[in-house]
Amino acid sequence: MDRTTFPGEVDSSSARAAESPAYRSRILRRRWLCAGTLEIELDRPSGFTFVPGQRIRLFRDHEAREYSLASAPGDPFLLLCVRVVQGGRFTPWLASCPEGSEIAFSGPCGYFVYRRSSWPACFVATGTGIAPFVSMARSGLWGFTLLHGVRFAEEVYYREVFESRSALYVPCLSSAAAAPGLPRGAFPGRVTEYAEKVLSGGPFDFYLCGNRDMVRDMTRIVDERFEGSRVFVEVFF
Amino acid sequence: MKIYTGTGDRGKTSLFSGERVSKADRRVEAYGAVDELNSVLGALAAALEPDQPGLVSEVRRIQADLFRVGARLAFAGDETDGPALPELQEEHAAWLERAMDRMEEELPPLKGFILPGGHASAAWAHIARTVCRRAERHVVSLRDGQAPGTASEAFRMLIVYLNRLSDYLFLLARKCNRLHGQDDIPWGG
Repeated sequence: MDRTTFPGEVDSSSARAAESPAYRSRILRRRWLCAGTLEIELDRPSGFTFVPGQRIRLFRDHEAREYSLASAPGDPFLLLCVRVVQGGRFTPWLASCPEGSEIAFSGPCGYFVYRRSSWPACFVATGTGIAPFVSMARSGLWGFTLLHGVRFAEEVYYREVFESRSALYVPCLSSAAAAPGLPRGAFPGRVTEYAEKVLSGGPFDFYLCGNRDMVRDMTRIVDERFEGSRVFVEVFF
Repeated sequence: MKIYTGTGDRGKTSLFSGERVSKADRRVEAYGAVDELNSVLGALAAALEPDQPGLVSEVRRIQADLFRVGARLAFAGDETDGPALPELQEEHAAWLERAMDRMEEELPPLKGFILPGGHASAAWAHIARTVCRRAERHVVSLRDGQAPGTASEAFRMLIVYLNRLSDYLFLLARKCNRLHGQDDIPWGG
């Protein structure tokens, strides 16, 4: 496998803006990626910059939520990938408010960014944990391995972003045993099962983004099967 | 929000730069000592509150600086890719020097060795000073094994800061005793 390459210049100084004053933005568009998961396009305030993989913090009333950006730094808008929590205090509003609604945010923050390396990158995501990798791919990153863990075939979103840029792209469907037919290139099982039974080579630079069970299990697998690899983590709680 | 992930249950941890290392690794020892120092400073601030808001504010600022120290120590090698770490600068050590100059003007000249202790806040400051010296020794050890480069320059700055901080904490201990009407305890040896 070729080493992962990232031709774009990364503006590392933008990380220092994590404590910058809140920006005011508007919700421009929404589209359902699958049942329960929205892609939200926000107006990008002038002067706002970030590094692919970083997050912003949205504010509404007295609530705040952090989301990784799925857009590229060169895009004229900001993209978020949001799982709508039924009965929640934040995401139902994001899903139902009128387009054009104002929303404040701060950031960018976080260090879950691609680091140049002589080792290939292996991205592992569950659900909306795919967002930082969408941003990296849209920014020109290519040659990586991506394992995307979802439950059902219809949750395999952003396939078109990754198929042309990845060295290996494997949607992992945890409910595949109970569902008829597998999408092209998909693996019937969790990302951790794929990493434990199928993934070969290494060492890798592993980038893990998703729920803590996946992060815990993947870290164990890295320690046991991919000695010498590096691990970067972004946990969704 | 649950804070545990279980990724360290087998005695390994991830450095900020991604390397999986033993929790007995020298870097983990080093940033662990800095974390311990920060916690002791928290106890010191608690012993000072509420009657010394100015000193508490100084201690809080140092606690924030120590997060920068810990972040650098959790970063292996010279890698500079990605968002920049909030690094310590010369100004951080200079700020400690100015704070020490102010305290020295208020304190009587030291005429010999003194025993650590006195008021509770002074005792915490002395404990913090000794933990700070331990953290400094760990960083010196890391620096000694580091080839010249970005990391070695960053370690040099950390050593300057921790050396200065130890002196600051010694003076702060004396000031705490003075604020609470206690004299230095001279060593009778």
